[in-house]
Amino acid sequence: MKRPFSYKLNIFLFLLPALILFIGVLIAPIILSGYYSLTEWNGLKTPVFIGLANYRELFSSKSINIMRALKNAMLLAVFSCFIQLPFALWLALKLSKHIRGERVFLSVFFMPVLISTVVIGQLWLKIYNPDYGVLNMVLRGLGLESWTRIWLGNKATALGACFVPILWQYVGYHMLLMYAGIKGVPPELNEAAMLDGCTEGQVNRYIIIPYIRPILRVSVIFAVTGSLKSFDLIYVLTNGGPNHATEVPSTLMISMLFLRNRYGMGSTIAVMLIVLCFAFALLINMAFKEEK
Amino acid sequence: MKKILALALALTMLCAASLALAEPITLQLWSIATESDSSHQAFVDAIAAFEAEHPDIKIEHSPTENEAYKTKIKAAMSSGTELPDIFFTWGMGFLGEFVDAGRVVCLDDYYPAYADELPEAMTVNVRYDNKMYGVPYTMSLVTLYANMDLLAQVGYDHIPASYEEMQACCEALKGAGIIPFGVSGKELWCLSEYVEPLVIKSVGGDKLRDMYNGVASWNDEGVIKAIAAFQEMVTKEYFDPSAAALGNDEVKNNFIAGKYAFYQNGSWNNKDIGEQAKFAVQAGTFPVLNPDVTLYQMIGGPNNTLAVTETCEHKEEAIEAAFYLAKYFSDADYKSGANLPCWAADPKAEVGPLIVSAADMAAKADNMVLFGDNFLSADAANTYLDYIGLAYALEVTPEEYAEGLDADLK
Amino acid sequence: MKQKAYRAPDAPRKVTASSVAGAVIMILWTIISIFPVYWMLTFSLKNNQEIFGENVIGVPRYWVWENYTRAMNTGNMPRYFINSVIVAVSTILITLLAAVMATYAMTRLHWKGRKTMNKFFMLGLTIPIHASIVPLYTTLSRMKMLNSYWALIIPYSAFSLAMAILICTGFMGDIPYDLDEAAFIDGCGVWGIFFRVIAPLMTPAVATVGIYTFLQCWNELMFANVFISKDALKTLPVGIQSLSGQYTTEWGPIGAALSIATIPTLLVYVFLSKRIQDSFIAGAVKG
Repeated sequence: MKRPFSYKLNIFLFLLPALILFIGVLIAPIILSGYYSLTEWNGLKTPVFIGLANYRELFSSKSINIMRALKNAMLLAVFSCFIQLPFALWLALKLSKHIRGERVFLSVFFMPVLISTVVIGQLWLKIYNPDYGVLNMVLRGLGLESWTRIWLGNKATALGACFVPILWQYVGYHMLLMYAGIKGVPPELNEAAMLDGCTEGQVNRYIIIPYIRPILRVSVIFAVTGSLKSFDLIYVLTNGGPNHATEVPSTLMISMLFLRNRYGMGSTIAVMLIVLCFAFALLINMAFKEEK
Repeated sequence: MKKILALALALTMLCAASLALAEPITLQLWSIATESDSSHQAFVDAIAAFEAEHPDIKIEHSPTENEAYKTKIKAAMSSGTELPDIFFTWGMGFLGEFVDAGRVVCLDDYYPAYADELPEAMTVNVRYDNKMYGVPYTMSLVTLYANMDLLAQVGYDHIPASYEEMQACCEALKGAGIIPFGVSGKELWCLSEYVEPLVIKSVGGDKLRDMYNGVASWNDEGVIKAIAAFQEMVTKEYFDPSAAALGNDEVKNNFIAGKYAFYQNGSWNNKDIGEQAKFAVQAGTFPVLNPDVTLYQMIGGPNNTLAVTETCEHKEEAIEAAFYLAKYFSDADYKSGANLPCWAADPKAEVGPLIVSAADMAAKADNMVLFGDNFLSADAANTYLDYIGLAYALEVTPEEYAEGLDADLK
Repeated sequence: MKQKAYRAPDAPRKVTASSVAGAVIMILWTIISIFPVYWMLTFSLKNNQEIFGENVIGVPRYWVWENYTRAMNTGNMPRYFINSVIVAVSTILITLLAAVMATYAMTRLHWKGRKTMNKFFMLGLTIPIHASIVPLYTTLSRMKMLNSYWALIIPYSAFSLAMAILICTGFMGDIPYDLDEAAFIDGCGVWGIFFRVIAPLMTPAVATVGIYTFLQCWNELMFANVFISKDALKTLPVGIQSLSGQYTTEWGPIGAALSIATIPTLLVYVFLSKRIQDSFIAGAVKG
């Protein structure tokens, strides 16, 4: 194509609305946060520049214990990649095989994604309730009295109990993405493979999964970055408790900002989170490219 | 003719001028009195009454739910713009940070006009460097609510008066399959409603206040003794074993439903418990740990407060409104049984039995020390609550608790 | 974008152990997925005693319809509802316009650095929304934009943008490049191609971007609470939040309010689900 004289100007004009929004609302605040992260600031008085002291405190303070928060988030990412995504893929593969009620299943599985986190949080609080919660009631009914726990109040079980609803809610989301990808596989490929005598499992493994790699990559990126910045459900279920056992970086950040009035330290955690999310997104991209 | 014209002109000008004068002032008021809050009606009535007496002033009330309100007022204070004229606040630490940043108007010049009705003792929690920055309206005390029907089942017709009797009572309750105490182990401030009375009844109010102020050391025999007593209540399962997973709403509902013998929390629960509980309730206070300390060393004090912002355009009117509203709320909350008044109360007011016991305790109080998480600044308050959580989970020994607070609350 | 569906050669379906297990898992998962809606609807009709223990998951015994009238009469629920709709619709429109234009510039126009620009926008996928609340608040207040619909519409649009661009890139990749060429030969400039050729073909993206953006802003609480203090401008989540009191909470009316906020989403979903899924499917076909 020939380039008209005003080509560059037009490119700029097309990008302008998105750039204004993006830079004004996302990038500028990050830069501001970057500055705040170098200050001691209670949100009221003028910020006092203290260099990297917040970063040093963040990684050395035993009471903040950022490593525990990061470990929790990484654990969630691992569960997400190795349990949630495979299950979503299994559902997507099943549904794409024209089973009866395909549409109904698809719609129902996606439904939890639509429901407000407040509702889901309240539901699971009731499920885990030690006295009249569904989970303990079922265990008692099965004669497994000794298995009952104070799920969200016990340090040993709280983290796992938080992960279950988080993983549960977004299965439908990943499933729909993957289902969409599978439906995009040219039917000729499948038919050819079937004619060659491939079993269903082999078709899945050698035709479909390689074909939907780009979508799997997107799913993995969402699962990992989503885990790193996970907040809402943990906030509703335990708010980082008991005694910080379920703390993740976002809950730490919010308590620094709004409970402790430490805007400088809160911004430090924000900056760390952004850097981490970005680094992981890049890493995953590279991993998927190399395998190709 | 000319004269008439001139007169007419003068008259119109006068009218116009008076119209311009009558242009009403609007004052913004932020509070936590949402429609489901027990003091919501008091806000509506008080504003209507004030507007009726001051036709040139309008008050625009924006209530926000408790936790959300904290975020909102802090964000507004931090930017320093879009602030309301009058705002609800808690005393000491919470208001202190705003005062420190120069966002709040000093009320020293205005207070004397109200000193007859609002005793100076009630203003201790809104004074910084002995200057007054807020108008308190109600006070709250930690109250031990007792289900007398359950206590009767194990042979008690009164709230145990000594610590030994309390322990015996708890054992008897446990023996009868009744959970002695309801508490939310999930909301740390609820744990503090148990820890703080134990501490004050072990070290005394003056010393506790000095500890909050950083004058006395937390590493103290009395503190260690109090935490040991608290942990004993945990290990002997005097608290609901499910407490760690319960929120305060659930615990309170459980108490009202008759599941616990005792529930210790703020006196703001008087109305709900008094109206909803279907058993005989008594309100009292926890017995002393240390015989040298008097029984009525109380945790609590004047707390709910209105303050005026420095950015307010019509300060005179806003300050007048703040005092007027505070007096009104103080009366209204007392009469409805919601909480104790800071302002001189109407002695003829008919109030429920729980608020009478609360008022009685307030009158007998030798000393009142505010809730620790209100007293301390935000950062310190959360560190303090963390330690209470650790003590409850038995992750620190009483000695470690005392040493830790001493080291970390500097 | 309709694809001929793949169908296995017509062999009689055998009932095997694994197919039975599969069916059981599917049905279990269906129950687990529907349960929250059932639970929310039933608890919106119960009293506190039932919710807090007597009857946690059963059908309400007394059917407290009063919860709904109380939820509707408390605060200004109809107003909050309209506000939420205004904010959601405006956010969707702005996000769509900005995303489609930017995607066009990054996929159909040739210039150095368009890949980098795309990566730059993808940064947005990784930024936690709560991290920017303080700087945003100070900026909005300086621009006198607090307490206006814009205080929510602009941040919501910005945070939806990255995902919208990602989805649009998928859709736009499906449009044959021959169309641009033909239009160019017919004398269209870039704007002509955009408005006459590309934009009309992007209509399937509307549903996908729309539902995604809707989900982002319909339930958002933190910004809505901090940036808006005027009652007349509050959105539903804030309205629901303000139903709970200082120390006491009555859950029946809150459940009713939650249902009022969730039912429209579900209705839209029930009517549009096929459309939404189709667009997801089309969007994922990138070749």
